[in-house]
Amino acid sequence: MRLKRAWRITFRIAGLTAALALAVFLLVRFVPEPPAEKVELARLALSEATANRADTYSRKLYREARSLYDSAMINWQAENERFIYFRDYARVSEFADQSARKARQAAKISKNNVTDLNIYLGQKIEKLNNISGLINKRFSAYPLSPEVWKDISKGRMLLKEAEVSYKKSDYAHSRTKLAEADLLLSGSYEKASSHLSEYFSSYPQWKKWIDKTIADSRRNNSYAIIVDKYSRKCMIYHAGVRKYEYNAELGPNWVGDKKMKGDKATPEGLYRVTKKLGNSRTKYHKALLIDYPNATDREEFRQGVANGSLPKNAKIGSLIEIHGDGGRGVDWTDGCVALINSEMDVVYKIASEGTPVTIVGSMLGYDQLFE
Amino acid sequence: MKNKVLMGLAAIMMVAVLSSCGKKPQAEIDAANAAIEAARTAEAAVYVPEEFSALQDSLNAVMAAITAKESKLFKNFGVETEKLAQVATLASTVSANAATKKEEVKAEAANLLTSIKAVIEENAKLIPKLPRGKEGAEVIEQIKADVATVDAAVVEAQGLFDNGSFMDAMNKIKAAKEKADGLNAEVKEVLTKARIRF
Repeated sequence: MRLKRAWRITFRIAGLTAALALAVFLLVRFVPEPPAEKVELARLALSEATANRADTYSRKLYREARSLYDSAMINWQAENERFIYFRDYARVSEFADQSARKARQAAKISKNNVTDLNIYLGQKIEKLNNISGLINKRFSAYPLSPEVWKDISKGRMLLKEAEVSYKKSDYAHSRTKLAEADLLLSGSYEKASSHLSEYFSSYPQWKKWIDKTIADSRRNNSYAIIVDKYSRKCMIYHAGVRKYEYNAELGPNWVGDKKMKGDKATPEGLYRVTKKLGNSRTKYHKALLIDYPNATDREEFRQGVANGSLPKNAKIGSLIEIHGDGGRGVDWTDGCVALINSEMDVVYKIASEGTPVTIVGSMLGYDQLFE
Repeated sequence: MKNKVLMGLAAIMMVAVLSSCGKKPQAEIDAANAAIEAARTAEAAVYVPEEFSALQDSLNAVMAAITAKESKLFKNFGVETEKLAQVATLASTVSANAATKKEEVKAEAANLLTSIKAVIEENAKLIPKLPRGKEGAEVIEQIKADVATVDAAVVEAQGLFDNGSFMDAMNKIKAAKEKADGLNAEVKEVLTKARIRF
């Protein structure tokens, strides 16, 4: 009887234990499973995107991915606050999936953007360096305003900054600096080019004067002097053939024709030597006075005063010469053409009263010079 | 008697279940976050960006693991607590590395600033000696513009340096230094050609 009772108790305990084990199993079995793996994948994708600098080079997508990851975590934590069997991780899973997808896209786009930027910025730096070089080549002796030179200088400094950043692979900073440099350098270059191109619109007229001067020299077997203002050259022709070519210095406002007295411009046109001034008659070693102003200059001056482009009290200039004392390396005269003394000696020797002196903006056209 | 046995067993089970529920290591989380914030304040994102990203990623990983554990019926945050301590230690290392790097950049920027100022001073002495435009008055105008640009860049760089933005200052100083050196070489070349002693 006692044995039977003992068996009964043992049986009941075993049953109770089994029931409890089943209850625990059921308790654990039906706990909703969180999308830990998906969140982990999203985190890894974000990490890779960060390593690929997507936060800089695919910013929008990266931020979306980051925000989706944060949403996944916040939702997950919010679900954890609920009663264990009522938790629903569907949204967490959805956010994590979207985050991972966007992070992968961001990493890929960033990688491509970095490659493209590397190429683009390299080319842009090269292009702006070329523009900077062209500015030097074409305008180093051209009277641009101090403001334009200031812009060019600032542009070059920004270009240097862009290069420094580019070398450090800081493409975002380099791009910003290049955009600023481009604005200043390209802008200044275009402004200067347009000014120069406008000046060269007189080239057909200059060409006619040059052709006539050379043809007359050939026909008359005589000397002629041609001054090319842009290249700062004074050329001596004989019988239509160029015999000598010397460096010349002009008035500081050499771009454009001389308009009036005191404008420091060197006139353009067909002139002739009217007087030879030896050493004792000029303070500039030797000089050849030319017939500026000629009839055309007088008429242009009269029209200028009449239409108001010149002041009413303006006076037409005079005493334009080719003279010595040059070699200062600067356009310093009041409109004359200055040569170094030894070369002035040669010009003085071959010239006589009546020798043609043709002064032009350039012997070559804009396209021939620059394109 | 039967009821007493059942109640005893239920109590044991409850104790077993409750004892498995560890507490979220909030103090360690706060400490790790504070350490990362300290690294951010030390400008780790500027001076050691890769290390800082890795640090943030480590914290994200631990936080995800903690949240995962919180979803479970039986929780034990032992591993995560340990990892949080590691993150805090790593954050201190990153802070220290950032401080070291910052000092290096600061020293380099200060040296460059000193040397560029010396070049600027030399240029200021040389430029008046230029033959009144050996290369033409326009070149003098360009040199003046360049001098003004370099001066402005140095002032800007000095301002950044004084504000503690050493990395930004560095980029500007390097560019200005190149420009000032170029200017120096250009002026010296002109003076040499003109046989003027300097």
